[in-house]
Amino acid sequence: MSHKIKSLKFAAGKINFSHLRLIIMLVTLILLVLGSGAPEIGPGGGIG
Amino acid sequence: MILLNGIILGLLFGWLLARRNNRKFAVPELKREWLVWAAFAPQFLAFYYNPTRQNIDETLASAILILSQVVLLVFIWNNRQHAGLLVLGFGLLLNLLVITANGGWMPILPDTVHLLRPDAAPGSWEVGARLGFGKDIVLNAAETRLWWLSDRFFKPAWIFAPAAFSLGDVFISLGAFLFLTALGMEGQIYSIHNNSQGDLYAT
Repeated sequence: MSHKIKSLKFAAGKINFSHLRLIIMLVTLILLVLGSGAPEIGPGGGIG
Repeated sequence: MILLNGIILGLLFGWLLARRNNRKFAVPELKREWLVWAAFAPQFLAFYYNPTRQNIDETLASAILILSQVVLLVFIWNNRQHAGLLVLGFGLLLNLLVITANGGWMPILPDTVHLLRPDAAPGSWEVGARLGFGKDIVLNAAETRLWWLSDRFFKPAWIFAPAAFSLGDVFISLGAFLFLTALGMEGQIYSIHNNSQGDLYAT
């Protein structure tokens, strides 16, 4: 098994269900905030 | 970015609080999470994604804004046991009120637009019309209903980037901050154990 595949398997093993739940909750919160707010951003301000 | 500041700071404070108190960062089960995704998807097409927002009629875009925010309020109501989400929901309600009172758009004063886009080409915006492809409409103060809830606050360029925001936006950002900070105090406390070699470890 190449070193790269071993590294990927190690990284995947580190991401467990609670990490996934945290990521989903954070994305949901970001969408909630962006959908709820209505700021007008000037040049160079990016999203939200 | 003005809205996302609350999330970034809340995550940082919550994580620091959890570490300080030897707790795990709590991840609550939010009820009907899919409502947020379903509500945001049409907003993404109408306001954020360039290829589609150019082709969506303004009447439809304003209807999307109001309906999606009503759906987001339903989500907040379903999760009202979280104090931070209640504060966020109050901000959303303020925005929804002023948007509904002004024909489906968030009002912004011409003076604020001058501050926000001092180098805008003449004719690129006008009073009474939607500002670009965003959620705002340029209105004079006399024509604005509930003007105190409009995008009347101005954040100058030296704080990251210029932005105009409303009182509702302040509560939304504050609510996100409080929600995430509270999660740093609600998590399970780490248990300290001894292994067979007598070393301490936490679970």
